[in-house]
Order: sequence, then C-alpha cells, then structure tokens
Amino acid sequence: MTWWSAVRFLHVLSAALWVGGQLTVSLVVLPLARRLLDEQRRAAVLTAVGRRFGILTAAAFLPVQLGTGVALAWRKGVTWSSLADPGYGRILAAKLLLFCAVMAAAGLHGWASGAARPGLARTMAVSALVGSLGVVLLATALPAT
Amino acid sequence: MVGPVDIRVERERPLDPEAPPPRPRASWHLRANAIVIAWLGLTVAVALGGDALPAPRWLLVHVFLLGAVGTAILIWSEHFTVALLRVRTPPRRGSLTRLAALNAATVAVLAGVSAGPWPVAAGGAGLMVGVVLWHGTVLVLLVRRALPGRFGHVIGWYVAAAGALAAGGVLGGLLSAHLGHGALHERLHAAHAEVNVFGWVGLTVLGTLFTLWPTVLRTRMSERTRRASRVGLGLAVPGLAVAVAGLAGGWRWVAFAGLVVYAAGGLAALVPLAEALRRKQPHTGASWTLAAAIVWFEVALAADLVVVATRRAHEVAAALDSLLPLVLVGFVAQTLLGSLLHLLPAVLGGGPARFKANAALLERGWAARLAALNLGVPLLVLPVPRPVTLLGWALVLGSVVAFVVLALTALTRARPGGAPPPAAEDAEGGRTWRKSLPAVAGVAAGCLLTAAAVVAATSGGSGPATPVTATGSRTVEVTLSGMSIRPAAVQAPVGTVLTLRVTNADAQRHDLRLATGERTPLLAPGRSATLKLAPLGEPVDGWCTVAGHRAAGMTMRLVPTGAVASRPQPSTGHTGHGDHAATAAGPARLDLAAPMSPDWKPYDAMLLPAPGGAEHRVEIRAEDTRVREVAPGVRQRVWTFNGTMPGPVLRGRVGDVFVVTFVNAGSMGHGIDFHAGATAPDGPMRTIQPGERLTYRFRADFAGAWLYHCSTMPMTQHIANGMYGAVIIDPPDLPKVDREYLLVQGELYLDEPGTDAHVARIRKGEPDGWMFNGTASGYDHAPLRAEAGERVRIWAVAAGPSSGTALHVVGAPFDTVYKEGAYALRTDDPGGAQVLDLAPAQGGFAELVFPEPGTYPVVDHSMRQAEAGAHGLFKVAGR
Repeated sequence: MTWWSAVRFLHVLSAALWVGGQLTVSLVVLPLARRLLDEQRRAAVLTAVGRRFGILTAAAFLPVQLGTGVALAWRKGVTWSSLADPGYGRILAAKLLLFCAVMAAAGLHGWASGAARPGLARTMAVSALVGSLGVVLLATALPAT
Repeated sequence: MVGPVDIRVERERPLDPEAPPPRPRASWHLRANAIVIAWLGLTVAVALGGDALPAPRWLLVHVFLLGAVGTAILIWSEHFTVALLRVRTPPRRGSLTRLAALNAATVAVLAGVSAGPWPVAAGGAGLMVGVVLWHGTVLVLLVRRALPGRFGHVIGWYVAAAGALAAGGVLGGLLSAHLGHGALHERLHAAHAEVNVFGWVGLTVLGTLFTLWPTVLRTRMSERTRRASRVGLGLAVPGLAVAVAGLAGGWRWVAFAGLVVYAAGGLAALVPLAEALRRKQPHTGASWTLAAAIVWFEVALAADLVVVATRRAHEVAAALDSLLPLVLVGFVAQTLLGSLLHLLPAVLGGGPARFKANAALLERGWAARLAALNLGVPLLVLPVPRPVTLLGWALVLGSVVAFVVLALTALTRARPGGAPPPAAEDAEGGRTWRKSLPAVAGVAAGCLLTAAAVVAATSGGSGPATPVTATGSRTVEVTLSGMSIRPAAVQAPVGTVLTLRVTNADAQRHDLRLATGERTPLLAPGRSATLKLAPLGEPVDGWCTVAGHRAAGMTMRLVPTGAVASRPQPSTGHTGHGDHAATAAGPARLDLAAPMSPDWKPYDAMLLPAPGGAEHRVEIRAEDTRVREVAPGVRQRVWTFNGTMPGPVLRGRVGDVFVVTFVNAGSMGHGIDFHAGATAPDGPMRTIQPGERLTYRFRADFAGAWLYHCSTMPMTQHIANGMYGAVIIDPPDLPKVDREYLLVQGELYLDEPGTDAHVARIRKGEPDGWMFNGTASGYDHAPLRAEAGERVRIWAVAAGPSSGTALHVVGAPFDTVYKEGAYALRTDDPGGAQVLDLAPAQGGFAELVFPEPGTYPVVDHSMRQAEAGAHGLFKVAGR
C-alpha cells in the first residue's frame, strides 16, 4: 500500500463512476423518464441530466483521469516510442485512442442534443457507452506488474 | 410485422373480416428476428476472425447454421404453422422458452466444441434435441387442434425437419463426445452433415416453398400441391432416414439408394412449383433468387449422389467438405436472401406507396447481384487457382453486402413523414424499428471502434519483439494420429529454424496450426505438409483445429532451450548433455514407442514350407503408390512388389524352376533381379515401362536365402523405397524345426519418395530408421510367438541398400548358423554363435532353442540400427 495505490484507486474509481453513470442514465433514468414523464418534462429532465453529467465529466472526470493516467504511465516508464511496441505499449496506445474516440462521441452527443438532432445524439451516446466498455476491456488486458 | 402468409391470404381472398392476430406478435417477431440478425452478424465476425479462432471452419458453419438458420427456422416454422392452420398462437411463454433453450444449447455446443470440455457440447446437443422434439410436438398438437384446411400438409414437412435435427443433434453429440474413432467418426460426420442439411434445412425450405413460391410469383397455388406434398414427404423422409443409416453404418449402396429416394421426393415436391413457373415466368428479383437457390439445392443433391456413389462411406465427409460453400451460399444463404427480398417490404410497411418504393429499392440491380452471386458459387467449389477462388468470394460477398446496404437504406428511409400506415400492426413494427435505429447504429459504431482498438492492441504478438537471429536449422517429423500429436514437445536451441513435416497417420482428417500463425491445410489420411517456422524465440503452442480435437489432447509445444546453440562442438571431446544441441540438425528421431494405428497389420514373418512341385509360377506386380505404416504412427508412400514391403516370399528346393510373370503396374520404369538364378541380365532384368510385362524364368541351382530387388537405376532409390524381397531355397536334407520365421531387414528413409531431400539422404546413406519386414519396431508391437524348448529357425536377408545386419537374439545363443550357402555352425558342433552377420544383399539362417518362457528381443546388434527400429520381440510361452 503506497501512494501509488491511491493514484491507481482514483483512476479506477473515476472510470467506474463515469461508465457506471452512463449505464445508470441509459438503463435506469431514460426508460423511466420515457414511461413516467410527458414529453415536455422529459425533455427538460433529460437536458438537465445531460448537462450535469457533462459538467461532471469536464470538471472532475477528465482532469482526474488524465492526471492519474499520465502519472501511472510515467511511473511505468512509458515513452512515446514504447507505445508502438507490441504488448503493453500497443494495448495502452489502443486504449488511449479508443478513449479519445469515446470522448469525441460524448462531445458530439452534447452538441447534437443542443442542436436538436435526437437521432445523432442517441447514436453518439450509445457508441460512447459501448466504446467506454471497450476501454475497460483494454484496461483489463494491460499486463499487470 | 406481417408474415408472407398473411400477405398471401390478403391477396387470395379480398379481405378476411376477422384476421386480427394479437398485436404483441409483431414486436415478438421483431425481437425474435433480431436474434437471427445477431447470429448473422456473429457469422460475419467469425468469417473475418478466421484463423484467430479455434476450429474456424467448424465455427463458421455452425454459427451460421445452428445460430442464424436454426433460430430462423424455429421462429418461422411455428409462425407459418399458426398462420396456415389459422389457429391461435401457442402460449408465448413456451415459444420464448424454446427459443431461449435453443440459443443456450447453441452457445453450449459452440463453446464446448471450440474450447471444451466436450461434456458441455454434448449437453448442449442433448438440450437442442429436446428443444426440437418439443417444437415438433407443439406443431403436431397445433395440427390436431386445427380444422382441416388447405395447408395442413405443409406442417408435416416442418415436423419431419424437426425430427431430422433431433437425429442430427444426436449424431453431433456423439461426434463431440469423440465416440467412434477413425473411419466410424468420419461416417458419423457424413451422416450428421446429410441429415442436418437435407433434413432440417432442406425439408423446411421445401415445405415453405409450397406457399411461398406461388406468393413470390404472384400466381395461384397449383391444384396438385397437396398431392405432390404428400408424395414428396412420403419419399423424402424415409429416403433420408435410409441414407443416414447407410452412411453411419458404412453401407455405401444403402446410403445411395436412400438418397435417390430422397431426391425423388424432392423432385415430386418441386412439381407444383414447376407448374406455377409454367403459368407465370419469374419476373422479380425475389423469384429469380429463390429459383437459383432451388437449382443449387438440386445441384448439391446431384453432387452428393455422385460423392456417395463413388466414395466409401468413411470418405464421404471429406469429399462433402468441398461442397460446403455451394450448399451454404448457393442454397441456404440464397434462400434467405430471396425470402428477405420478398418479405422485407411487407415488414417495413408504410402503406402501398412506401411498399412499392421499398420493393423497388431492394430490387435495384438485382440481376447483376444475382449474376455475381451465382457466378461466384461455382468458383468457390471448383478446383481453381487461389486468386480465382478469392474472386469467387469477392463476387459472393459483394452481392450480399449490396443487399445489406440496400436493406439498410430501406430501413433508414422509413422515416417519419411517410403515408399513414395501413394497419396498426405494421406501424408498430415500423416504429419500433425506426426508434431503435439510432441505438442500433450507436451499438454498431461502439463495437466497431472497440474491435478496431482490440485488433490494434493485440497486433504483433504479446511481448516485446526481440528479433531472434537464426542459429541453425532442424527438421522434425510430426505425426497426427489417435487424438495426439507426436512428438508432443520439441526442444530446440533458441534461434533454431524449425521445419515441421506434418503427416496425418490417422484414419480421419487433421491439421496442425501453430500459435504463431503457420498452419497446414486439412490433411486427409496419409497426407503430409511442411511448415517452415521463423527462428524459435519463445515457446510456441500447436494444435489441431478440427472441432474438439484440441480439447481431446491434440496439442504440441515447441520449446526453446535456454542455451544459444554454439558453433558445432569440437569433435574430439565428449560433449555431455550439450550433445543434443550439437546434433540438432540431424534427422528427426522416430517415436518407436508410439502405438501403431489400429488398422495396421504386421507383415507375417512366419515362413511356410516350400510348396510341392518342381516348378513354381508366380506373378509379381510392381507398384509405386501404396501408403504403408513404416514406423509407429508414420505412414508414407512406398514402392512395392505385390503391394507389400518386402515383396512376396518365394520358397523351393534346389533344382526347382521359378516362372515369374513380372508386371509393371507402377508409374515409372521398373525391373526385377533374382539373385537366386543364373541368367544373363540383359533380357529378364531389363527395365520395363508402366503397363508392360515380362517373363523371368530361372532354375534355383543353389541353396540359400537370396535377395531379389528392383533392377532399375538408381537402385538405391528403388530398393530404399521398398522394392525387395526374399527367395528361400532349402539346402538338401534341411531338418524340420518347430517354427520358421523370416526377417528381411531394410533401411527407412522418411519422406515422400523422389523428393530432393529424400534422394539426398538415401545417397548419403543416412537412414532415419531400420525395419524388419517393412515396419520399424513393428514386431515390438506385434511380437513373434514361440514356446519354450521349441527349435526356431530364423531366416534373414539384408536388403540394404547400404547397410547389413548383425542379427542377434538377446538371451538365446544360436546353435546353428547357415550363411551364404554354407553352414558356419552345425547343431552338433560344440560351439555357439551370437550373431548372424550379413552384408547388404546377403542371406542365411540361424537356429536356436528358447530355454524358458519370457520375452526375448531380436535385434540388429549394430545398436544404432536396433535403436532406430531394427528391433522386435519373441514372446515365448511355456509348454
């Protein structure tokens, strides 16, 4: 148990909160909102939920994730060139790229919701969710040391 | 959603006032069909995943047929039954349970076979059989409950199809449990394939076509339909049952007769379809596609008939393998495409205008797509060069992808703003589709992204790539047999370039795939392939990809030994355990302790007394295509006289005349040379060409154990490949003994005769092994018999071509030795002998009396040769 355990704990916790939050919204909040609320209220609630989740992402999730992630990589001795090596480096690189794609999808979702394009917004939301599960998958595939 | 039958009913009778199927049916079908789509997606994934998966071929076939096609048949045969019989839908819960159980069983079978353990697969097969039996029972009960109607006959086909899958599932379960090895396994495999493709899929499709085909053609159903259906079913089902029993039992002509009856049934069922065709030409993409599918069904059936008629039952499965693309793509997939082409516009709904627009969209370019697909199918099946096969796949996949793109376009075009839907049912289905579209697109996008990331992450192996420099090379003989790979482990110094010569010595098909990606094609019994690997850096696993074989233990491992191979060691010193590394480049060692294949029969070493008469007539045929088991688990092609190695034994007395008719039944020139005769070589020993014959007449003027051999140059090749035998001329007054045996010793060079490496090793005289009577260590596995106190005479001839023998029996000295026409030691002499020594081509005999019961090795006391196969056993029993 060192300080590095705490850093890793923060990294995992924040990821769990973000993926779990998305799952909760998609599997619990959305269906209930559809069933229980009329169209106007539903729009208001979902917009509010989306905005809050977006703020949480930008203000807490991203800084924590990037900060702890960079720190862990530095400790592991990852360099730009080692990212191309098969094994740890390449899995990490793929995970980072997928993470970027997920963030892009989440951002597009936010923009599409604001621009009244519900179809695109939904597509992006779901692909961000599935993609973030993929990030978790790749994280578990990183060889532990 | 509307099934095709509903459409047909609407068309035939203007409108049925009360045909309101309960609304949930639509969404139920939509969801059930989503499972089919999911399985189809998985099929594509498996096809693309290819070699990375265990048992890729098996997986591809079964994900498609069990998952996608099986689920579709389960859903739609029940739906059609309900619609045709106009009965109430059976309890939803039951349908749901069956569907869930079928999918669970499919997953269990897929997982159990590809990853093991096999009881999971067998359990899955059992569950599947239970589900289809239940499904069949439900259909039967529905028929019982229904009023007599025009379409009841169709249900019989569905019930029979369910019965077929039950039988096929049982066979599949037996296969996954590895019940029955070798030929029996192949026969069960063939029966399994036939009953599932022609029974489960074929009967369902034929039954459905009775109603679907007239609908697609937009014509009336033929008057003769019911009769044709009765006759067809009455022929097809018993025919198939007989065929399957014949294949499983190995009775070729029973299987053929059964298939002929089945084909007759199929033709009878096609009569009303042909009649509809005469009334109305096919004019839509759907009708042409379905027609093409039917044609491929008939082609597959005809090809199947030919295969069954021309192969022995245990070879059918291998031959059917090449027909698989034809059946899967030409018949099954095309039936699916044709049906969807017809059904999708109705499923999408949206009113008559939308229906028309969608139908037009889906049919866009159908002629080109149809042509591409049906041009592609034969390219997949025919023995054409690989680029042409790839072109075939491109045509087929291009056609399918074009359809998928059009279908997706139709789906997305079904956007709000269209005409109001005509029926609530359609609207419900359509709306659900449209609503879920963004979510589906999202899932697809997310999955694609993840898949791309995983591929990127796992590319280039699992560890840091430290380039391994080649330090040496070594060839290893790998034998696939009896659910094991021999050797199971190969050790070589880091950097060794390994070449694996893989031979399938089993009676069923195997292959070898390595974790580094190299793989052999699927090898038929007796076939070989060579894999050349990159310099060995880390341990590499290998396994057989045939379904279930890896789980059953067909694995091997290539292990680098830590020490980097040094330059060849100085020849003066004794190198201790490093010796292994230094000799790594030598020939592979045979695994002589491995079991012989179950169907191996030892050459009978028992020597019969000389037949009576002073003239012996014999025909000797030279052949060069026989495959023999030359060492445990190692089969290879040999050149033979009368099909055996060594050739037939000729025995007579001094003065006897031998008249040999020598026939060249081989593929190259051969001749024959009898050492026992005195004649000018020019005539009788000349080389004759394939198909020619000559008469070789000689009188045996001298007693002795004589060699005969092929007289065609290069003789090293002809003798090393097996063309030798013995002539035994008894010395006058040869005493009678209790038993006489003959051992002809020859050298064994592993490899296909005539290849460069083989020729080079023969010329250098570096055999891989030595054989008594054609099999290295054969009599270790099938010991020679004797009883204690018996006098045993062992005749021996050294065939070479390059080495002789020092024949010795451990524990039993010889009291008589006769060598090259003279006694070296007589029975009543005071001395004894330990070895009968023979230079290449010499012969003689030794006699001994086994003192007591036991196991006495008989060896060539040149120990290198004994340890490489010139070794056998006498099992001596008590009197």
